[in-house]
Amino acid sequence: PPSVSPAADPAVISPQDPTLLIGSSLVATCTVSPDFHLKAEDLYWTLNGRRLPAASYAALGPTTLSVALARLNGSKQQSGDNLVCHSRDGGILAGSCLYVGLPPEKPVNITCWSKNMKDLTCKWAPGTEGETFLHTNYTLKYKLRWYGRDNTCQEYHTAGPYSCHIPKDLALFTPYEIWVEASNRLGVAVSDVVMLDILDVVTTDPPSDVHVSRVGDLEDQLSVRWSSPPALKDFLFQAKYQIQYRVEDSSEWKVVDDVGNQTSCRLAGLRPGTVYFVQVRCNPFGIYGSKKAGIWSDWSNPTAASTPRSERAAGGCDPKGGEQNTTLRRELKQFFGWVKKHAYGCSNLGIKLYDQWRVWLQKSHKTRNQVGKEP
Amino acid sequence: GDSWGIFTFLCAALCNLPALPALNCTEELGAGQSIQKTYDLTRYLEHQLRTLAGTYLNYLGPPFNEPDFNPPRLARAERVPSATVDLDLWRGLTDNARLAANYRAYSRLLCYLRALDGQAGTAELRHRLGHFCSSLQGLVLSIAGVMSSLGYPLPAGPSAPPGTPGTPGAPNDFLKKMDDFWLLKELQTWLWRSAKDFNRLKKKVPPAVVTLRLEARGF
Repeated sequence: PPSVSPAADPAVISPQDPTLLIGSSLVATCTVSPDFHLKAEDLYWTLNGRRLPAASYAALGPTTLSVALARLNGSKQQSGDNLVCHSRDGGILAGSCLYVGLPPEKPVNITCWSKNMKDLTCKWAPGTEGETFLHTNYTLKYKLRWYGRDNTCQEYHTAGPYSCHIPKDLALFTPYEIWVEASNRLGVAVSDVVMLDILDVVTTDPPSDVHVSRVGDLEDQLSVRWSSPPALKDFLFQAKYQIQYRVEDSSEWKVVDDVGNQTSCRLAGLRPGTVYFVQVRCNPFGIYGSKKAGIWSDWSNPTAASTPRSERAAGGCDPKGGEQNTTLRRELKQFFGWVKKHAYGCSNLGIKLYDQWRVWLQKSHKTRNQVGKEP
Repeated sequence: GDSWGIFTFLCAALCNLPALPALNCTEELGAGQSIQKTYDLTRYLEHQLRTLAGTYLNYLGPPFNEPDFNPPRLARAERVPSATVDLDLWRGLTDNARLAANYRAYSRLLCYLRALDGQAGTAELRHRLGHFCSSLQGLVLSIAGVMSSLGYPLPAGPSAPPGTPGTPGAPNDFLKKMDDFWLLKELQTWLWRSAKDFNRLKKKVPPAVVTLRLEARGF
């Protein structure tokens, strides 16, 4: 059965739960309660479970033992170092948590983006490339230039550990002043103020309805079509787009940069009889007359399509493999055609679905083999 | 005989189970399944707690995370309900008393666990704690479900949840660490005990009742 100690605390440590700068020294005392009939020589100290040398002790009275700690290192854990006063048999009489560390440094590299001008997400980096050893709180604050009120961001960790999300009530056309305050037990540090206009940091959803199709019988071309992102449909007079594409078995993407404002593009110089994966992304450039480029959206989900294969004999390195591929696809196409005619409710089955499946297969194969990279 | 045919027949019969005349022990059938679910939940929580406790005790730092750590239990720590009980007393508990003890204990433990270090600690630790509290809430509800399916009244809620003004918090950070340690320890002991409690209850209300009925019908 667990032993229960009497109501009074067995001993008192001073200082109780102090905060100290790295490198400072400390003298702590443990005074035993008279109910316990213990003397100073019956006591010993441990710090984080390790016994401290008796040479650092001094008896300051019949029931008080002190310990001297010099040049303290940063706390072993953020909950504080455990300095404990024990009786001779190892029992715990009292403890004190030591918080040893450094004041925070100015947070840096504040970057923000707004999704469709509806919200604002900002992230930053802590100033210290090393550690403060103490729990540090970050607060993102913002205010409209020329208006007095400071606002505090509430939703943290939305895009990594040093980030915050402002979901609503954002004004356009007037710049915002944004800064981050870092505070811990030893002090406060305020970042430089970043000034930005919401319209200059707009990003949007990837383009929707991306379609990739063949250009007649041309074996080296594919045509890509898409729609501008729906949320900014009415404002994107000058959007920029980018396309990237790769061969099914390769991880090297080719980027088409000069797509401009159109919502279609033709890829040329491709390999015949090959499956390509294509993605498109959008930059809401020049929104509401802003002179700056916006922020690129995520890439759209990959769309797959294949270039036609000529019926002439291919002089490839692996004719067998190529033939198998074409035969399989041809058979599948015929099968899907038959299914459409004879089966109910299978109208979505088609060669396009098969191509999408191959994209999915590649993606899931990649994530299975990938070592996770955490921010 | 065609074993495949028999198997399909059995499946068809089981699928048609709701159409069978109502078993007059549907209440026990419901309670039996709930007891099994509650038992499974205590084992799952026991497993989850091992990881959570490990992470949390590492956060508290040595000596709290040392395997043989055994600090004194100060009188104040008795706020946390103890699972430890005399063996004969435990054996002699009625089903109602057994369930009520579990219900009361986990309701209190959930309150204390929720109040555990709201702002300090790593984001990962806070996330794990949050997830565990949700699971523990599920256990409390599961026990309540068993009690109501057996016709027992739910015990009254905890008189004063911790953290409200008037209830004493730990007077210093080190004592708070000790409270946290004992909270996790008591949670571990309760989960270990509950598995035995629900195992005992399982034996009294077997889900095997359904199978017996089918056999009687000549399948």
